[in-house]
Amino acid sequence: MSDRVKIEIRGLHVSYGNHVVLKDVSLDIHEGEILAIIGPAGAGKTTLLNCINRMSDMIPGMKVDGSIRIDGREVRDFRDPSELRRRIGVVFPLPVGLPMSIFDNVAFAPRMGGMRDRKKLADLVERCLRQAALFDEVKDRLDDLGTRLSGGQQQRLTIARALSLEPEILCLDEFSIAVDPVTTMKIEEVIKELKQQMTIILVTNLVLQARRLGDRTALFLGGHLVEVGPTETIFSRQTADVRTFQYVQGLFG
Amino acid sequence: MTPALPFCTTAVTRSSRRREGVVRGLLGIVTALLIIPLISILALLVKHGASALTLDFLLTSPAAGMTAGGIFPAIVGTLWLVGVSLAVAAPIGVLAAIYLNEYAGDNWGTRIVNLAIVNLAGVPSIVHALFGVGAFVLFLRLGTSILSASLTLAIMTLPVIIASTKEALAAVPMSFRQACWALGASRWQTIRHVVLPNSVQGILTGVILQVSRAAGETAPVMFTGAAFYLPFLPQSVNDQCMALSMHLFTLSTQVPGVPEPLPYATALVLLGLVMSVNVTSIVVRSYLRSRRKW
Repeated sequence: MSDRVKIEIRGLHVSYGNHVVLKDVSLDIHEGEILAIIGPAGAGKTTLLNCINRMSDMIPGMKVDGSIRIDGREVRDFRDPSELRRRIGVVFPLPVGLPMSIFDNVAFAPRMGGMRDRKKLADLVERCLRQAALFDEVKDRLDDLGTRLSGGQQQRLTIARALSLEPEILCLDEFSIAVDPVTTMKIEEVIKELKQQMTIILVTNLVLQARRLGDRTALFLGGHLVEVGPTETIFSRQTADVRTFQYVQGLFG
Repeated sequence: MTPALPFCTTAVTRSSRRREGVVRGLLGIVTALLIIPLISILALLVKHGASALTLDFLLTSPAAGMTAGGIFPAIVGTLWLVGVSLAVAAPIGVLAAIYLNEYAGDNWGTRIVNLAIVNLAGVPSIVHALFGVGAFVLFLRLGTSILSASLTLAIMTLPVIIASTKEALAAVPMSFRQACWALGASRWQTIRHVVLPNSVQGILTGVILQVSRAAGETAPVMFTGAAFYLPFLPQSVNDQCMALSMHLFTLSTQVPGVPEPLPYATALVLLGLVMSVNVTSIVVRSYLRSRRKW
């Protein structure tokens, strides 16, 4: 982890019609850190991720104000959002195996980006599946449908797929919601490994998961960023905001 | 009131069980009744028409002022009409549906288009026929021809093709699209590689069902391209042609002295054609469904 700012968010304000989802959020995310984001449903955590990779473009009625810079470059200035999204891997709460083979799932994004070389693709797929701790379980059946894997395997497939473009940033949105505890621990090990290579934003409902994985932790409540700081601080008695203390101690929420 | 013991039959559970049986039976009977019209129609046609239904009947032209001979030109004509109308309506319908379902936002423009499609689907076929005469035969000077008639049929089938295609596209889970977009795939790449491959079965079914509808329509082709009687086969889309539906109408109402089996046999052929198209669609659908991937 370095102190270089990878993502700089300033005055981010998001609304659907009259409903405000994020209010004046400013946040720095450092290169190579795991930033854990906690907060109850409706706090705006997922919306924040959607703004970072401009999936917000695809959501009708969503209005985004404020600034998000990645390596100093304004996100909304990308003429082609695909270019931006290829640099940001995303893992959704529910595993989404695309309706194609395991191999094709992982090779999908590189192919869309123009990679055709079979040998290169095969190497890439194997590497990504290994990184996602899935390769040994599926190496003999890469041609099987990705959608037929179990939930936990599909979620690791999704991670392998997110890694296929060698992203600089990895967004994990409550990845463990449909995954058993053992698989969750496997994936958490994977995430710790990946930290060496990329900046990770981990949105989670599990306060303890934030504690285990986060270098820093941010708490969102009702669209506001309540507090962000080193994970030890957030989980200590020295929180800047009393609501943080109450939330992580399970006193409300 | 004493609390009900667990796992005991009470008056309430007994009556609800009885009601369940009644409802189930009623729904079953109503459903079974649906077969009756089809069976009776087929039986009627076979009874009266089977005697005339020979290979000769299928492969020769009408003779002796339509009171003898076969229906070959009408079969060929119907194939022309359906083929050309499909070649026009299917691509336009599918492309429009893709636009409406995958690209168009929810704004007043889209809503007007959707409203137009729904209303177009409700226009009676005789009105389509008159429109066809005005627009294609007269205004575009295509004359009474296969082209005019097919375009009229295409206009008639388009809204339903669009609606069924949209439905098939909407059945592909949104999460697949989001996953693709998040991987940096463009909208078109997502449609091409994920949405379309997983909705072809629905799209094909919708299109094929419209084929059978177009084959059976009489009014739209009557004024625009189908002929009363033609001794020769059409050579191009600029020719007129005979059509099974039109021929059936002619035989039953316009020509005196037609032997009884002829119109029945013609109807049997038309029905057989439509049903075999429908069966094809069912087979295609079940084949593609067996390859369904989620």
